[in-house]
Amino acid sequence: MSLRGWVTALRDALRNTARGNVMSLASMLSVAVTLLVLAVVVLLAVNLEEMAATAESQVEIKGYLCTARREEVKCGQRDLTEQEIEAILAGIRGLPDVETVTFLSRHEALEEMKRADPAQAEILSGYEGDENPLSDEVYVKVSDVERVAKVAEQIQAMRGVAKVDYGKEIVADLLAFTRAVRIGGLGLVLLLLFATVLTLSNTIRLSVYARRREISIMKLVGATDWYIRRPFVLEGMLLGALGAAVASGVVAWGYIRLAPAIQESVPFLPVVRPELILTDLTLALLGLGAVLGAVASFFSLRRFLNV
Amino acid sequence: MIQLINVTKVYPHMKAPSLDGVNLRVERGEFVFLVGPSGAGKSTLMKLLYREELPTSGQVILDGKDVARLPRRAVPYLRRSIGVIFQDFKLLPERTVFQNVAFALECTDVPRREIARRVPAALELVGLRHKSRALAAELSGGEQQRVAVARAIVRNPVLVIADEPTGNLDPENTWTIMNLLNQINQMGATVVVATHAAEIVDSMKKRVIALERGRVVRDENRGTYGYES
Ligand SMILES: Nc1ncnc2c1ncn2[C@@H]1O[C@H](COP(=O)(O)OP(=O)(O)OP(=O)(O)O)[C@@H](O)[C@H]1O
Ligand SMILES: [Mg+2]
Repeated sequence: MSLRGWVTALRDALRNTARGNVMSLASMLSVAVTLLVLAVVVLLAVNLEEMAATAESQVEIKGYLCTARREEVKCGQRDLTEQEIEAILAGIRGLPDVETVTFLSRHEALEEMKRADPAQAEILSGYEGDENPLSDEVYVKVSDVERVAKVAEQIQAMRGVAKVDYGKEIVADLLAFTRAVRIGGLGLVLLLLFATVLTLSNTIRLSVYARRREISIMKLVGATDWYIRRPFVLEGMLLGALGAAVASGVVAWGYIRLAPAIQESVPFLPVVRPELILTDLTLALLGLGAVLGAVASFFSLRRFLNV
Repeated sequence: MIQLINVTKVYPHMKAPSLDGVNLRVERGEFVFLVGPSGAGKSTLMKLLYREELPTSGQVILDGKDVARLPRRAVPYLRRSIGVIFQDFKLLPERTVFQNVAFALECTDVPRREIARRVPAALELVGLRHKSRALAAELSGGEQQRVAVARAIVRNPVLVIADEPTGNLDPENTWTIMNLLNQINQMGATVVVATHAAEIVDSMKKRVIALERGRVVRDENRGTYGYES
């Protein structure tokens, strides 16, 4: 299919879109509205995901190592040797999905407490050495929250580890939340895509219907299906992309104003910065509009092309 | 060129066949009139040739190929080798005469320079070159049909099919169109014309095939119309 053919088809499509006047404007706006809602859903989902990701990155496993003072049976009421501690740390580092392992000895912990609260330093000094009631601790970050429970379990099972903590409920809630966001977002997006295709194909169908005589003549003189389809596919793409452009404009305008305001009033929320997402979102919407338009045209024409 | 072997066509939801065991042969370069009362099956026969309809049974063979067996994507190419002319012209009213004729070439991706050469030549033949820029809707019936003739022949088809091409025209324009078709035939195309124009059939002395209720009832060279008109 020649380039000139596409140019002619594009000219036809432009003329038809322009000639479609009110109807095209109305349907372009309804396409814009569905895509706008879609964009809002996407922005919401992205922000919720970001929130979840921030929370997830803060999840860590805290492990307490055995000391003579701990009461757990497996600790046998004795302190671990340096080698034993090294072995435990090496063991944890060797576990799958473990990202970072930080060790804090009970002596360092005590020093830290003293530094943090100089008023108490005097009293705390009485607990130095063997009197230290604290435990040696390891902090473990895991690459994926879903793996936290498993890793914690493995650490707990190690010899010399008295106990682990990892905010079980929070992790479960977090996982349920991200799953809900993903499923809900995907469902909504699919629904909206469907609505957009429906709107587009209704418009194209009107355009096809208005030109059905021309189509039948084209077929009679031996035009291929693709030749007949071409202007309609382009018209659909144009309509979809125009709708997407309007939707992107509105969304960008709104988000640029809203995001900083939200960030300011709720500082601890990780609001995704507009410049990080709007370009991608706009490009994605434009592409999506064009593709949906092409798909819609393709299907609207099928009935009319049957020989 | 054209061969129909035992062709029967029954439209959906119709009891009586519109074509009933038709056998006929048309050789390359022939000029054939198809006559018969209304509803005899003339249009149906022509539609089978350019594959607007498929036969219920039997074979329609064009240039050695069974039209019904062509794959869907080959149908446009079949139609490009046939020029079809209709009683209602089937022009695009909002386009110019030139565009209407060029249309048949454009939709088959013929280069623009080629179009610029062939369209005026075709319009010249039908005597409408001076109306190139007029809109199709602004022409008289006779002129519109001449544009349709130009569109049918602009691709130099081997076969030209005309279904009552003069049904809507006065006697003078009828003669013009028939003479054009005759001229096209002299230039080498096979021409099949369905018509009720008795006087013309009688005076042109061509092969006449008569259909009645879907059957061939008469087939004679240098024949006559043979019905009260
Ligand atoms: N699309 C169709 N669906 C059902 N029946 C049809 C269809 N087209 C034609 N027929 C029937 O087939 C028969 C033959 O019709 P056809 O159009 O071939 O006749 P014709 O010889 O061209 O008549 P006319 O001289 O009036 O144009 C008629 O009885 C008609 O009712
Ligand atoms: Mg007829």
